[in-house]
Amino acid sequence: MSANTQRLKLPLLRTEKGRRTITGYLFILPFILGFLIWFLLPAAVAVWLTFYDWNMIRDPIFIGLENFKEIFRDKLFLQSLKVTAYYTLVSVPVSLVLSFLVAMLLNSKVRGISVFRTIFYIPSIVPAVANAVLWNFVFNTEFGLINMVLRALGLPKVMWLQKPEWAMPALILMSLWGLGGGVVIYLAGLQGIPETLYEAAEIDGAGRWAKLRYVTVPLISPVMFFNLIMGIIGSFQVFTAGFLITAGGPQNATLFYVLYTYRTGIQYFDMGYAAVLAWILFFIILGLTLFVFKYVGRLVHYETI
Amino acid sequence: MQTKRMSRREFLLLAGAASGAVVLAACGQPTTQPTAAPTAKPGDTKVEPTAAPPAAEKVKIEFLGEPGGTEWREEEKAKFEGENSNIEWIQVEQAEGVSRLEQLLSLVAAGTPPDCARVESDVYRTFCKDKLLLSLDNYIASDAEMSKPDYWIQPQEKDRCSYEGQWYGIGACWVAPHFYYNRSLFEELGVEPPSNDPDEAWDWEKFLDVARELTVDANGKHPNDSGFDVDRVERWGVYWPTWWIPLHAAVQSNGVDWVDPETQQIVLDKPEAMEALQRIADLTLVHHVAPTAASFDALGMGEAEFLETKKVALYNTGSWSVNWLWEIEGGLGTGVLPKMTRPATDMQAHLITIVKDTKHPDEAWKLIRFLSLPWFQERYCKNALWLPSQTALMTDTAIANWCTPPEHPEGYDLIVTEYTAKYGHYLTMPVGYAKANETALTPVFDQIWIGDAKVADVLPAAVEEANRIMKEEQAR
Repeated sequence: MSANTQRLKLPLLRTEKGRRTITGYLFILPFILGFLIWFLLPAAVAVWLTFYDWNMIRDPIFIGLENFKEIFRDKLFLQSLKVTAYYTLVSVPVSLVLSFLVAMLLNSKVRGISVFRTIFYIPSIVPAVANAVLWNFVFNTEFGLINMVLRALGLPKVMWLQKPEWAMPALILMSLWGLGGGVVIYLAGLQGIPETLYEAAEIDGAGRWAKLRYVTVPLISPVMFFNLIMGIIGSFQVFTAGFLITAGGPQNATLFYVLYTYRTGIQYFDMGYAAVLAWILFFIILGLTLFVFKYVGRLVHYETI
Repeated sequence: MQTKRMSRREFLLLAGAASGAVVLAACGQPTTQPTAAPTAKPGDTKVEPTAAPPAAEKVKIEFLGEPGGTEWREEEKAKFEGENSNIEWIQVEQAEGVSRLEQLLSLVAAGTPPDCARVESDVYRTFCKDKLLLSLDNYIASDAEMSKPDYWIQPQEKDRCSYEGQWYGIGACWVAPHFYYNRSLFEELGVEPPSNDPDEAWDWEKFLDVARELTVDANGKHPNDSGFDVDRVERWGVYWPTWWIPLHAAVQSNGVDWVDPETQQIVLDKPEAMEALQRIADLTLVHHVAPTAASFDALGMGEAEFLETKKVALYNTGSWSVNWLWEIEGGLGTGVLPKMTRPATDMQAHLITIVKDTKHPDEAWKLIRFLSLPWFQERYCKNALWLPSQTALMTDTAIANWCTPPEHPEGYDLIVTEYTAKYGHYLTMPVGYAKANETALTPVFDQIWIGDAKVADVLPAAVEEANRIMKEEQAR
């Protein structure tokens, strides 16, 4: 290699270590660029927008803290927070427990278990629109599957998606249909627990309940914690069900926070206020995650197996 | 050899700078400054001549949204480009997973708006206010055909297009709700179907009587019979959807407006409007002749299935449905909606517009003009998707040419000439209407349709709130 060529090289490329470093960064460059362009930059723009009135058509108008003051006047902001909190408080724990129980069942050594695992997983990959059409039928007041069953039992029909008190339970029920993703994660965790621990527990006289309580639950707790965090984050970002099935109704009973943010930005042409709503959501999720890490994380049992 | 490591910070800075440069380059304004209509009024747009393109270079005019349908697109494109050899009509397809509104706003925000766009009536005035659209007044005034006072059906076209005295768009067509029914069902039952002639429109009591007669439960009982089981209805007498088009028709038939054209305020708190809306709610709640509209809408079944299976006897939907319902088993019949105090229906349709920042307003106008000619409109009238908005298509000769079987049921010309044109009302949606409607009116309507509240008890406050929201939006 000539001296000139040598001089042209970056100093970092002259050593093996340097070359490896560059290679490593090149591999993660797509992610970094994606993060910068599609997340960090829009997030920074969203901070800037919080001080502006911008309807995407005319130039943004600086309005100082007006968008922040609007939070205290906006009844729908509170309503959407209430709706989302309700969904989180009910769907996350129910989903956590139910997917754990299903994973326990699917961890059994019975013939054809892989078929059952597939059946439980399939709903979680059904496209959102197909899911919406299906559940619209299931919950339909006049012709729905559930009301048909109720009618056969001599019970009155329920206006699942028209009555505010029933709409949210209906959407939570629907969300449980897609718990296959969480089940698979639990299943992986359950299968990672060594048999020897159960054998040792049996030798010590542990029954089924004791094995569950003192072996399975502690060792699966990191997975539970992961599912809890992801469940909380996911529940605060629910959009599709409210958008496609109930359109935020009836009477704003399913006006999820993200749906309201979308409406504010796109349908009401108010991107500045929508940016405020988006940042508030960010801090709510951040706060909740930190809270859960601090107060629930300490209950998680970490053990090197 | 001495080496120097690139720190993470340096690397991230470099990557950030590179990506920032890419984004800035992508977001940069086009190098050519847009010009505006040569004859636009002062204060609206700048008056500058359009740069004439080189002889061989075609001007590309983008149109976002479907101006008509896709079936004749190539033929339409070929005709337009044949008549305008210097223009290429580029149809911007709707991107997957986003609404047309989202796509238009994104293109505008990115500084790359299309030249022309289809705009729905609920946001048209908002776009006019924010000067997204180009005034068409001077183009229309200087056009030999379109400047004629009777080129369009009036006053509806003026009601639809004018914003603060200027036109920023032209209606693509008209559509209007009316009744549909399966002819064989009425023949089987020996019931006289509704007429297409508005002079023979049923009054509300007559309509209720027919609807009761047509509604039947699993035991063959009608709503007025003792033991009628509303939970096991085999056939509903009527389906009256509870979205604004069929509701507006009802309100108008009781003699009042939804929005006052003068004050631009929602006036649904007038006693006549509230009475009309309560009557629609009572079809389900009191008379048991109609299903809960929301559950029907959510079912995903089409009008054809309901009519063919005879689950619904009288189906209220827009005139566009003739386009596919004419083929139903049993034969399609149509009729005017019942009157409360007068025959009435709603008239709506999207508008076609020029985006103000187009670099080629004259060429864009040529496309809008082409889409507003009888040649273009007639084909969609003939296939029963549209009703005409141009008087040239309303003459006896023209109607005999397009309002023909098999698509159009017998007597449908009365729906066109007598019902829609004479008794149709356009609902003006002022700036901020979409927000006012969704945040103030919709939740209250949700209560009303399921019987949780009476119209008179909850609507006045909601109307007041809606008008407050519109006022705020108009002041933005």
